Amino acid sequence: MKQISLFDDNKSFDTENIYVQNINVPLYRPRGINPNIRELFDTRKYNRLIQKIEESDIDSNIKDFLKLAATRHIVFNYEKIADYYANSNQKIQELFEDNALVVIDFNKAYSKGYINLAYNIANQYFENYGE
Amino acid sequence: MENNFVIFIISNNRPNNIITLKTLKDAGSTIPYYIVVDNEDKSIDNYIDIYGENIIVFDKKKYYNNIDNFNNLGVYRSTTYARNACFDIAKDLQKEYFLVLDDDYTAFKFRINKNLNHPSGFFKVKKNIDKVFLYTLNYYIETDCKSICFSQGGDWFGGEKQFGSPPKRKAMNSFFCSISRRFDFFSTLNEDVNTYMGLGKTGNVFLTIPFIQLDQMPTQNNKGGMSDAYINSGTYTKSFYTVMLRPDCTKVSLMGRKNKRFHHLIDWSIAVPKIIDKKYKK
Repeated sequence: MKQISLFDDNKSFDTENIYVQNINVPLYRPRGINPNIRELFDTRKYNRLIQKIEESDIDSNIKDFLKLAATRHIVFNYEKIADYYANSNQKIQELFEDNALVVIDFNKAYSKGYINLAYNIANQYFENYGE
Repeated sequence: MENNFVIFIISNNRPNNIITLKTLKDAGSTIPYYIVVDNEDKSIDNYIDIYGENIIVFDKKKYYNNIDNFNNLGVYRSTTYARNACFDIAKDLQKEYFLVLDDDYTAFKFRINKNLNHPSGFFKVKKNIDKVFLYTLNYYIETDCKSICFSQGGDWFGGEKQFGSPPKRKAMNSFFCSISRRFDFFSTLNEDVNTYMGLGKTGNVFLTIPFIQLDQMPTQNNKGGMSDAYINSGTYTKSFYTVMLRPDCTKVSLMGRKNKRFHHLIDWSIAVPKIIDKKYKK
């Protein structure tokens, strides 16, 4: 592990490959497994609602509305979606991105910037309280 | 960046008791601030007498009519409208970035020490809070978050074991915002939760920064503000608004030790798309 000086004059820390024990960045690490596409969502409650709507004796336009509303109960497992994304080809990945099923940390802004923020706030603790 | 950043303190019927302002000054804040009150607040004149040009008044009904309030009660005791007005106020002031605070913060506390560990004890920010704000703002600018905020007491249930966890994908109470990343808060109650849950599902990122925690007066002990609305409806209505919005991942639960109250419970594994490193992109 690279050693860094917490209170170096250079406030921009090289956090590219640094493991900081106590700081976990807001990124999900895909687990290296490739789940089945059926594992990415859960339609059990949706299916129950659809069945009940279909069996009801109401106007078809109301049925159509209720079926749309029932989609709000479909559960998407975003962890498994990220796992699936990591194992997909470029074409599928782009469609996942267009659908906002994952957020890509393009410039390491979320991760590297977060470590920098931790150091900078820690530095302010030092300026307030010293040792 | 500093010149393009202001603080808004939203307040209601507390002209003589804006605790946040004292807390900011005690912590050395020099960032320009404005106190935002609505045009139906009966104490406007008192606000103006005390704070003069630092008071900005907005038309509450205009903002009430602009959003889905989640009810048709015609009662608009909510911080929702002030929060939304802040985007327009910042635009009028020609400020790109702003931080929205409530009016009852008693302290901003460090939740990280110089060794990048959790501090033992109570360490409020005593000076240079401008730097804390500007470093946090810098992170906000670098990312494409819709909004980020500081942690609050409830984020630390379970004590310092929480330290080191990844930042939560939520934003409550204090909001770093940009007029270029405008979004609307919605619903009269639980508007912060509903906003990050409603927008979060389509990839809009909200984050809670755990390195600082704000302390706040207990909601139902401080007169004015939202206290009356919560006492009147309890917290079930408030919590159920989020179930209405996101029935796929939210339910109403009980929270607290002695005095239990209803609270929304979110299953975060199914709530919002995950952020992943670019290296996974082919």
